[in-house]
Amino acid sequence: MPSNETRDSDAILRCERLDRTFVSRDAGENRVLQDINFEMRKGEFVVLIGPSGCGKSTLLNIIAGFDRQTAGLALIDGRPIAGPGPDKAMVFQDYALLPWLNARENIEIGLKMQRMPAAQRTETALRFLELVGLAEAAERPVYKLSGGMQQRVSIARALALEPKVLLMDEPFGALDAFQRAIMHKELVRIWRATQATIIFVTHSLEEAVFLGERVVAMTPRAVGLTGELRIDMPRPRDPLSPEFAAVKRRLFEMITSHLTEEVAVFAE
Amino acid sequence: MSMKSADAALRATAPARAAAPVRTLARPSLLASLAPALLGLVVPGAFLVLWWGVVAAGVFPPSVLPSPFTVAAAAFDWAFGDPQNGGYSGTLAQAIWASGQRVLLGYAIAMALGVAIGVPTGASRLMGHLVDPFIHLLRPIPVTAWVPLSLVFFGFGFKGAVFLVALGSFFPIVVNTIEGVRGANRSLVKVGRMLGARGWRLLWYFILPASLPSVFVGLRLGMGISWVLIIVAEMMSVKSGIGYTLLDAYSFGRFDVVIAAMIVLGVMGFLSDRVIVAVQSVALRWHREVSIHAEQ
Ligand SMILES: Nc1ncnc2c1ncn2[C@@H]1O[C@H](COP(=O)(O)OP(=O)(O)OP(=O)(O)O)[C@@H](O)[C@H]1O
Ligand SMILES: [Mg+2]
Repeated sequence: MPSNETRDSDAILRCERLDRTFVSRDAGENRVLQDINFEMRKGEFVVLIGPSGCGKSTLLNIIAGFDRQTAGLALIDGRPIAGPGPDKAMVFQDYALLPWLNARENIEIGLKMQRMPAAQRTETALRFLELVGLAEAAERPVYKLSGGMQQRVSIARALALEPKVLLMDEPFGALDAFQRAIMHKELVRIWRATQATIIFVTHSLEEAVFLGERVVAMTPRAVGLTGELRIDMPRPRDPLSPEFAAVKRRLFEMITSHLTEEVAVFAE
Repeated sequence: MSMKSADAALRATAPARAAAPVRTLARPSLLASLAPALLGLVVPGAFLVLWWGVVAAGVFPPSVLPSPFTVAAAAFDWAFGDPQNGGYSGTLAQAIWASGQRVLLGYAIAMALGVAIGVPTGASRLMGHLVDPFIHLLRPIPVTAWVPLSLVFFGFGFKGAVFLVALGSFFPIVVNTIEGVRGANRSLVKVGRMLGARGWRLLWYFILPASLPSVFVGLRLGMGISWVLIIVAEMMSVKSGIGYTLLDAYSFGRFDVVIAAMIVLGVMGFLSDRVIVAVQSVALRWHREVSIHAEQ
């Protein structure tokens, strides 16, 4: 494919015919991802949606470099993904902050690993804490922060690395409905301020429609990506508006048309 | 009581004064904080009374089971008596120092080796395959079974005692260090790799801090075993220290001193454990707090 370079010059992330098969002694072969073709341009906010067990985390882990595909290509900026690193920063569902460090140090440790000088580190960490609205909590131990605040620190830590893609695997799953609603608005604000490229994994239709510029749906049983929906609704989006409900319905129908017995699982 | 809490609730709604009732609620009263300590004395107190009762009833001859008062007097003489009087008078400090330095040195060696061997064994798969089987083969051998070899290699005295202490406390320290490093929170290691840490930096900044709680478990177990082994060593092969005094007093039928020596050992073991716990609570403040949060 000689024309790829020009055609995909603005694609920051590209998966081509990606396969991931788990082999275990008792269950045999489990082909979780099959023939995944997926592309993202710089600055895009893509939501990856699908029912539990369809392979969302598997795909994200491959992009993050924690896992490897069994076949196909996964490229960032045209280069194959060779392992985890700061260019593919992940925000974990359980925050995964270092409990022996305070909020600022949790951000600085990443910059330290990039061998940034100390003074610049502190300045950068504080800037990103401010971005996520936690300037006052900089010196507090992270275990004393609420779940929502801890997730903000985790987002700040990832953003401070200035990654090419920001990977978020159900980052707000552990938060209550109110905190989650706040974090949705915050994330949209942060995305616009930083122009980060974000892949956001969820199994909530509402979350997908509120956040995504583009929603990509996955279904289980090795059928890969089933479809995608571009959402041009202006922001801020109102989850209680009729337009929002209509988009949600279209997304729901798009996904369920590919599902048979899984419908019940998905209609949360 | 209910009036008071209602009052506190009312005041808590007024932002300007909200801090006051919260603070009084959080700080336990002096009585409440003393109560656990007082309760803790009940059973030992009852035990002393029972002991005294058994002695007073003449169940055993007083030469074999002296009363608590006789033991207290013996302990006092051991600690503060005039050494000129001979016997055990005034030799306690010496005995503690003799045993204590052997424990400290042996324990320090065990700690250094246990951590130095445990960290690479837990961190590297190759080291694990090399070292694990050896440790698990040696560990079931009771340390007391090493006494004859220890006598051959290190002779009677200081070196042999230090060897036994070091050997005995080495195993819990090394095993818990290996466990801690190997079991370091998976997602924190993932984070380290994501942040670009490799090799030494991954170990130093991510894996080691995460393994510390387990390392401290090993350190506490090791300290407990140290005090067991110093007594074994001193009874078998050394002519000074608390263990030696204990055996010596037994051979002279001085059961008051035997029991006093037992109590001293208990106190020494307790105090050395407290020291480790104090260090731990500073080093692992985050861990304690995290566990407290997790319990809620
Ligand atoms: N390390 C592994 N070994 C074997 N099978 C695995 C492994 N990781 C995931 N799987 C399997 O892959 C499938 C997809 O898992 P994955 O975690 O990607 O789902 P998911 O879409 O993220 O689900 P959820 O919404 O519940 O997080 C599951 O059937 C799971 O059992
Ligand atoms: Mg998942």
